[in-house]
Amino acid sequence: MKVLRPFLTPKGAIGVLLVGAVLVIALLAPLLLPDTAATQMDMRARLSPPTLAHPLGTDQLGRDLMYRVLLGAQTSIFIAVSAVVMSIVIGLPLGIVSGYYGGWTDNVLMRLVDTLLSFPALLLALTISAVLGPNLQNTIIAIGVAFTPFLARIIRGEALRVAQMPYVEAARAAGTTDGKMILRHILPNIMPPVIVQSTISLAFAILAEAGLSFLGLGTQPPNASWGLMIQASRDYLDRAPWTALVPGAAVALTVLGLNMFGDVLRDVLDPRMRGRG
Amino acid sequence: MLDDMPAPLVEIDGLRVEFRGETGPIVAVEDVSFSIAPGETVCVVGESGSGKSVTSLSLMRLVEFGGGRIVGGALRFARPDGRMADLSEADDGTMRNIRGNEIGMIFQEPMTSLNPVFTIERQMTDGLRLHRRLSGGAARARALELLREVRIPEPERRLRQYPHELSGGMRQRVVIAMAMACRPRLLIADEPTTALDVTIQAEILALIDRLKRETGMAVLFITHDMAVVAQMADRVVVMYRGKLVEEGPVGRIFAAPSQDYTRALLAAVPRLGEMRGKAAPEPMRIVGADPGMARSLEPAARPEPLLEVRNLTTRFPVKGGVLRRTVAQVHAVEDVSFILNRGETLALVGESGCGKSSCGRSILRLVEPSSGSVTVGGTDILALSPHDLRLARRHMQMVFQDPFASLNPYMRLADQVAEPITNFGLARGTDLTDRVAMLFDRVELPRSFLRRFPHELSGGQRQRVAIARALAANPKLIVADEAVSALDVSVQAQVLNLMMELQADFGISFLFISHDMAVVERVSHRVGVMYLGRIVEIGSRAQVFENPQHSYTRALMSAVPVADPARRTIRDDLNFRPIPSPVFPLGHEPGPSVYAEVGPGHLVLTEPGGAA
Amino acid sequence: MIYILNRLLSLALTLVLISAITFAVTNILPGDVAMMIMGTQSNPEALAGLRESLGLNDSLPVQYGRWIGGMLTGDWGTSLVFKEPIGPLLLQKMTASALIVVLSMSIALICAVPLGVWAAVHRDRWQDTTASTAALLGVSLPDFFWGIMLILLFARGLGWLPSSGFADPGDDFLLALRHAFLPSLALGLGLMAHLTRMTRATMTGILGQEFIRVARAKGLAERTVVWRYGLANAVGPVMTVAGLQVGYLFGSIIVVESLFNYTGMGWLTYQALLNRDIPLIQASVFVIAAVVMLANLVVDLLYVLVDPRIRLG
Repeated sequence: MKVLRPFLTPKGAIGVLLVGAVLVIALLAPLLLPDTAATQMDMRARLSPPTLAHPLGTDQLGRDLMYRVLLGAQTSIFIAVSAVVMSIVIGLPLGIVSGYYGGWTDNVLMRLVDTLLSFPALLLALTISAVLGPNLQNTIIAIGVAFTPFLARIIRGEALRVAQMPYVEAARAAGTTDGKMILRHILPNIMPPVIVQSTISLAFAILAEAGLSFLGLGTQPPNASWGLMIQASRDYLDRAPWTALVPGAAVALTVLGLNMFGDVLRDVLDPRMRGRG
Repeated sequence: MLDDMPAPLVEIDGLRVEFRGETGPIVAVEDVSFSIAPGETVCVVGESGSGKSVTSLSLMRLVEFGGGRIVGGALRFARPDGRMADLSEADDGTMRNIRGNEIGMIFQEPMTSLNPVFTIERQMTDGLRLHRRLSGGAARARALELLREVRIPEPERRLRQYPHELSGGMRQRVVIAMAMACRPRLLIADEPTTALDVTIQAEILALIDRLKRETGMAVLFITHDMAVVAQMADRVVVMYRGKLVEEGPVGRIFAAPSQDYTRALLAAVPRLGEMRGKAAPEPMRIVGADPGMARSLEPAARPEPLLEVRNLTTRFPVKGGVLRRTVAQVHAVEDVSFILNRGETLALVGESGCGKSSCGRSILRLVEPSSGSVTVGGTDILALSPHDLRLARRHMQMVFQDPFASLNPYMRLADQVAEPITNFGLARGTDLTDRVAMLFDRVELPRSFLRRFPHELSGGQRQRVAIARALAANPKLIVADEAVSALDVSVQAQVLNLMMELQADFGISFLFISHDMAVVERVSHRVGVMYLGRIVEIGSRAQVFENPQHSYTRALMSAVPVADPARRTIRDDLNFRPIPSPVFPLGHEPGPSVYAEVGPGHLVLTEPGGAA
Repeated sequence: MIYILNRLLSLALTLVLISAITFAVTNILPGDVAMMIMGTQSNPEALAGLRESLGLNDSLPVQYGRWIGGMLTGDWGTSLVFKEPIGPLLLQKMTASALIVVLSMSIALICAVPLGVWAAVHRDRWQDTTASTAALLGVSLPDFFWGIMLILLFARGLGWLPSSGFADPGDDFLLALRHAFLPSLALGLGLMAHLTRMTRATMTGILGQEFIRVARAKGLAERTVVWRYGLANAVGPVMTVAGLQVGYLFGSIIVVESLFNYTGMGWLTYQALLNRDIPLIQASVFVIAAVVMLANLVVDLLYVLVDPRIRLG
């Protein structure tokens, strides 16, 4: 399809490849690799640089970094996806109601959202995590809640824009009820920018999880995530920098892929559909 | 104009311009050749996609900044030293010397032509300082002079102001002053009045004409409006799809066009005054089409009122302050009353901000009126509950101005046309699909379009879909809000004919809202002229057009360009009053509209007075 | 004038909301302050007594009122971890972080704006591709990653700059700068990448507008058109984005200060969170949110200077 042409550019292709690869790894690695691959300790080979036996090196407990990073993908991705889904589940109805109905509801909700936006997202996530007690679930909740205000604001902006379009007025003149309006007119037209924004938020969520785990307020052992791996490597930076670089590169590549994918997705979804064809 | 052929000022020879497309180069201009003599006005006319703008941008070598490439032909321009330079091969330095100095250019959008963060003085003087090496003080003095030349009141004050503080018409005058600053020998005007109201357009056209006569400069005038061509041109160049179709002196082109396209273009243009003496609206002349429906558009012997509007007033709040309280009101519609009969077309005509659009929306209650009454087929619309209002909407539909934005980009066309039917439960299943298909037939769209999306259609086709949607529930009243204003002239003619056919077949009443007097003259039975929210004059089309009584109506008539080069009405002594602001403080109660009857059914506003 | 008054009213309202949200979030905590002070093994009676004296048995709204009242009169409570009054502690740490924030924002803006404009001017050509790709990479790497790389390179590898610790600017500015430099750079690189993308996008939009064409049609040099006419319009939007980024900076600063052992506001907040030092958590979070909000307010007010269309509004 002509529409998918932007994906054929270098940026698009790399983006799709990276995202695809990470998704595949996240889904399949736990199924294909033995459970013990990431936790098997070999104290004789601890902190060894990349060799044939351990292509990406080992950490301070002699665990193979390659397996750990591949298996850690699932945790990191799962947390990020769950958090973003949570933000959307809360933010979408909020944003649509605010943008479509306007008035006092909009004023009050947006004032609340704007105030929440004064709290740096990472700080909010850290605080919630600390307050609830850090574990996998609470990390998801913390990141999800921290990202909701931003997403809600974007959704509200889009809903407002669409609500003022002539085709919405035309539908109202044609006797369309509010419910049908939201379902058939508002929602389909805000989804493309929301999807693009979600992709970008996914990237931020992975960075957030890494940051939280790095500070010890995210995923906890025995769950393995990339952020946790970086945290564990802090004391060994001199002797074994690869213990930090391997998980760091994993985060970077995933986030890079998502950013590229999101950029290209924006090109694909927006101008064509808005009728400038 | 001149009998002995002087050396041309500009000679465009075999110009070919291409743009980078997704699948290969797109040819925007193909083998175009014409010349401009010193002091002559050449109008390049064509519809969208004709390549007329690209041609002018090529002359200034600005087309490269938009991704275009001049791949063939020559652009010869006579320099001050007498030699002809080929601008297509000129280097950057030469071009910068020519731009704003030997050739000036003005564009279409006065709202965005000026840098929002610089003062008027700064923008006017930087050209002068560059080309004429004037010092700050001298440049400022010259800028003042220029502002006076273009008749801007209070020029000293304007220099200190920012663009957003000036109206559209004034901004365009500033842009013209900027272009004239260095006394160019050629002025290129790319659709300079398209975005302006008709009275302002008349003033700007008169201004350009006067400057041309005073300085002896040549004008290359790009437009899609044949009436403007008739008023301004010495010679005409007609373009279509990148090719030159025809060129010649303006009189010959209008009286005896030699090409089919030119003939079709001229036929589709409504001319102010040609309906004189005719009883009923008349279909547009489309070359090759059958004009047989004129009979059935005649007004009924005993008119039966369908829509009765009494003392309609709509005011919009202006909010300010932290708590967003209402600090003032926009008096969009003020004490408007009229009657629209079944099977007839009433036009509401006026310039931007006169309230005609708000009036249409108020009648449909898409915005809530502040007071008054609206009765459609006996039902008081303003008294209905939201639920009953929704059901009543079945009988009154609307067609909007922007064919791009009035269709949902993500919904199939068939579904959008079906929406009114399903909303009111009028048909379902195969019945529904049949009805939608028949509607598509009626608006002359192929059935293959049923499953398509809006972005796959052209502007005119989209507007047909919008009309099909408006027809779907069999309404008695359709409000057409500038429904043809965004369409090319030939497409416009087809859509207008479609509307008139539907009226003849189904007896639909149209409330036709427009700013285009010539179009209104063709399609209406009755006409209401609006100004500052009130109807200043209303009557039959013949009464209002042939015997206008209100000063504003007369001003409007005199400002409309007539598509006949033998009747040039540009006068430089035009002095239209700028339209005052309709924003009033809270609680301000203007008096009621008082009318005098100057003929049967012909009313003229006597109080409040003071318009135009 | 009315505009400013409106904003101040808004400011006060928002501060109240911020304090309420902060209080609400930190007080869902299970476990309590008294137990933290005395330890879990302590005498239940002593615990109860301490709770009473700390006012922990009162209802939440009352506790909230007490906290607000305290703040307004200058009593910000005592940190459980540091056993010091919170007020002066916050001031000192905030100054330290302010140094980093200002430094990183400056580095980022000075590099990003010209780069972004350059990329926009050469849109879709190699200059743009290089700059945009570099920027894309920049925003994809986490801040602490930059930090780690910088530590490895400059501190461990080349030994030019210290990799940890902090010096008070009041005592020895140059030393403070040396300690602050790497953390600022770690934050600044990611920020620079983001601002480059934003500047490029803004400039691309501006360069497509009609008045740019008009400026060219006057014969002005392209340099003038882009860097005077164009950039003047970009200042506003870029400033707004930079203001929003201050919020983001104060989040990332927690991680970066931790990494570099730089004892600023971020490090303080982290210690508070780790040890559940509720009074300190409340105070730090409140102050950070308030500072972010103020930064955005300042940007809004500055916008009035930059865009004449706002002045008369």
